[in-house]
Amino acid sequence: MSATVSEKGDAPAGKQPDQLFTLKRWNAVAVWSWDVECDTCAICRVQVMDACLRCQADNKQEGCVVVWGECNHSFHNCCMSLWVEQNNRCPLCQKEWVIQGTGK
Amino acid sequence: MSGDSGSLLNQSSSTDQSKNGVSRHVTQSSMMIGSKSSNAKKLTIKNFKAKPVLPENYERETWRKLEEAVSAIHRSSFIRYSLEELYKAVENLCSHKIAKNLYSQLRDVCEQHIRKQVHVFDENIDGELFLRRLEQEWQDHCQQTIMIRCIFLVLDRTYVLQNSMLPSLWDLGLDLFRENVLSRDHVRERCLLGLLELVVRERSGDAVNRSLLRNLLSMLNDLQIYHSLFEKHFLKETEQFYLTEGDVKKNQLEVYEYLIHTEKRIEEERNLCITCMDNSTLKPLIACVESQLIARHTDFLLNKGLSYLINENRMSDLQRFYSLLSSIQDGTQSLCTCFTDHVKGVASGIVMDSNADATMVQDLLDLKEKLDNIVNTCFDKDAKFIHGLQRAFESSVNKRQNKPAELIAKYVDQRMRSGNKESSEAELDRTLDRIMLLFRFIHGKDVFEAFYKKDLAKRLLVGKSASVDAEKSMLSKLKQECGGAFTSKLEGMFKDMFHSKELMSQYRQYQSTKADMQDISVDINVNILTMGYWPTYTAMEVRLPVEMGKLQECFRQFYLMKHSGRKLTFQSTLGHCVLKSKFKNGNKELQVSLFQTLILLLFNEGDVFSYKYIRDETLCKDVELKRTLQSLACGKARVLTKIPKGKDVGDDDKFEFNSDFKHKLIRIKINQIQMKETVEENIDTTERVFQDRQYQIDAAIVRTMKMRKSLSHQLLASEVYDQLKFPIKPTDIKKRIESLIERDYMQRDKDNTNQYHYVA
Ligand SMILES: [Zn+2]
Ligand SMILES: [Zn+2]
Ligand SMILES: [Zn+2]
Repeated sequence: MSATVSEKGDAPAGKQPDQLFTLKRWNAVAVWSWDVECDTCAICRVQVMDACLRCQADNKQEGCVVVWGECNHSFHNCCMSLWVEQNNRCPLCQKEWVIQGTGK
Repeated sequence: MSGDSGSLLNQSSSTDQSKNGVSRHVTQSSMMIGSKSSNAKKLTIKNFKAKPVLPENYERETWRKLEEAVSAIHRSSFIRYSLEELYKAVENLCSHKIAKNLYSQLRDVCEQHIRKQVHVFDENIDGELFLRRLEQEWQDHCQQTIMIRCIFLVLDRTYVLQNSMLPSLWDLGLDLFRENVLSRDHVRERCLLGLLELVVRERSGDAVNRSLLRNLLSMLNDLQIYHSLFEKHFLKETEQFYLTEGDVKKNQLEVYEYLIHTEKRIEEERNLCITCMDNSTLKPLIACVESQLIARHTDFLLNKGLSYLINENRMSDLQRFYSLLSSIQDGTQSLCTCFTDHVKGVASGIVMDSNADATMVQDLLDLKEKLDNIVNTCFDKDAKFIHGLQRAFESSVNKRQNKPAELIAKYVDQRMRSGNKESSEAELDRTLDRIMLLFRFIHGKDVFEAFYKKDLAKRLLVGKSASVDAEKSMLSKLKQECGGAFTSKLEGMFKDMFHSKELMSQYRQYQSTKADMQDISVDINVNILTMGYWPTYTAMEVRLPVEMGKLQECFRQFYLMKHSGRKLTFQSTLGHCVLKSKFKNGNKELQVSLFQTLILLLFNEGDVFSYKYIRDETLCKDVELKRTLQSLACGKARVLTKIPKGKDVGDDDKFEFNSDFKHKLIRIKINQIQMKETVEENIDTTERVFQDRQYQIDAAIVRTMKMRKSLSHQLLASEVYDQLKFPIKPTDIKKRIESLIERDYMQRDKDNTNQYHYVA
């Protein structure tokens, strides 16, 4: 997906003053998404890039982030915090749920 | 005794008094010829207790005198006696209780006169002559009656007044005239026929003796036979006349001519009625004309002429149509139905003509404006027309799926793009308001959103937006119309742009502290888009030159440091660059896409490269590479030369740096040859919309259940329909509810399967 870099390394884009083309400005566009294995939250079945179902219902799209477990599975943080109140295991692999990190 | 003498004294003085009173009275009463209800209280008669003795023969002599006077009046000849003398004579007779005789004698004399007079009508004369004779007789009769009444005033004021069964002298005159003249069939008949003939001639445009008509009709009114003798027949005649006229004219005339004619007819009839007839005839007369000329032919006229009048924008004719129809029952309703059908036909025609997609939106806007104008100016802003117009547009616009929504979005894009300087900000805002009128009719508003978003993304990323204010204004219009959930992602796009700017100034700081980045002179700017807010772009892998690769990685590091748990994907198709370039004929600054940049940078190492070499170096895909090479070597500004020459790029072509490149400008934008939005891409966009609907249904159901806690299926469904901005089938809602029950967002009631409860 991302661009690979030329390995030859003998074509510096911007230096020699006598070259025909010199890159002056580069307007790039990048898309960010959560670094997850599965795009969909297994609990609410909404894509993790969208707010979870409850946040959508409340119109609180922002601040609905993703949480990763040590098992590397990820869910909406909202969905998972409700889930662990019932069952402290990962819904996908049944391992004990230990938070590895949350998105920001 | 003393009382009697007193009364005698009183009597003489009261006679004097009454003398004065009488003379005053005669002059007054000559003005009034009304019946006995008039105020006749001036004469005091309570003092006439004792009768003065009358001479012998007094009654006979006096009557002879009076009879002679009456005859003279009837003959219109000279009266030998003064009116005052005659008046007094009547007064005397009355005071001596001979009034009863007097009254019946007078009645007999008058009746004999009229009977003798009637023969003048026997002559067989034509209509109008007859009418004039009748008018003459009537006028004579009235004058005579007035004069007789002046003489016999005391009789009217005393005897008649005391006998409520007796008609006043004036009424007596009317009775005699009615019973002896107008009771005769041949008089009645010829009178009626004559009058109707006058009316017919009036209607056919002849100059008719209107005062004759007026006088005779007022005569009939006085005789109280206006309604029975005239009005009934007149209205029937009128009905017949306009029945025939309507049938003939509606085929003979264009509809607008027919309407003008009808309006003229109504005005003529009103005028005739007001001048010549009794007021009470006006309402039924006008109703009769309207019913024959308009009500009977409403559907015919509407079907034959309405579309033409609307198409040709005949404002005053349309206004006339409306006002004529508004006076008949359900008239404007019929007009509204026909109007709505017409609008549906025209609007659907515009929508369904797939060859005219380019002008669909403008055509619809123009049509809407024209019709709004007609409703406001010609149809009195009638609410049912306003609603009818809206319903017609709504049904037409939704006859074709998705396309209208897409084209409306495109239309907005054209207005919003810079370079579109044809309108001022205020005008642009008005245009947007009008667009919203169309947008409101669209059922699949999310389809609009998807296409709108694609165009908005282009405007934002290429910096092509004409005005930030206009963008914000459009966004707030959409928000107002559809609510915050609808625009939240669009707003997210603006926020991304804003945050990117902030982030870039932090990044420049960061880069300047990096030792290994010091030799890089390229100014990088990155717009970071939140996935999901923006349209989905197909990622294309390319190989970057070392320096660019270093820059990209440096930025990625910086970004991931600030935001954990994220990943960043650079979109090569959206990148664009500024290249400084040296040609024999001078230095240029090229504005090019990232792909164009990658190719041009290769020519720093050599003058000629094969297609295959370029492909291997840049890793561009064939389709994209060929398009890009075409733009550089076959477009308007050819910085490369293709070998061999030709429009299309082949796998065995070579490309050479064009050192002779010439251009009058220093800054040159080399347009990437735009691929037309492919059908697949288009289907892709709409398909994504449909997938997304399921999430929105879920969210709407959860939102509603959270608020209401417990709801029946019907109530839940109807609330969800109201929230959603796209059409949805009941089975879809059922499926989503089942799915949410399964996911524990809600549960079914234990006893009532039709009732749901929210699960917190
Ligand atoms: Zn979730
Ligand atoms: Zn959430
Ligand atoms: Zn797991």
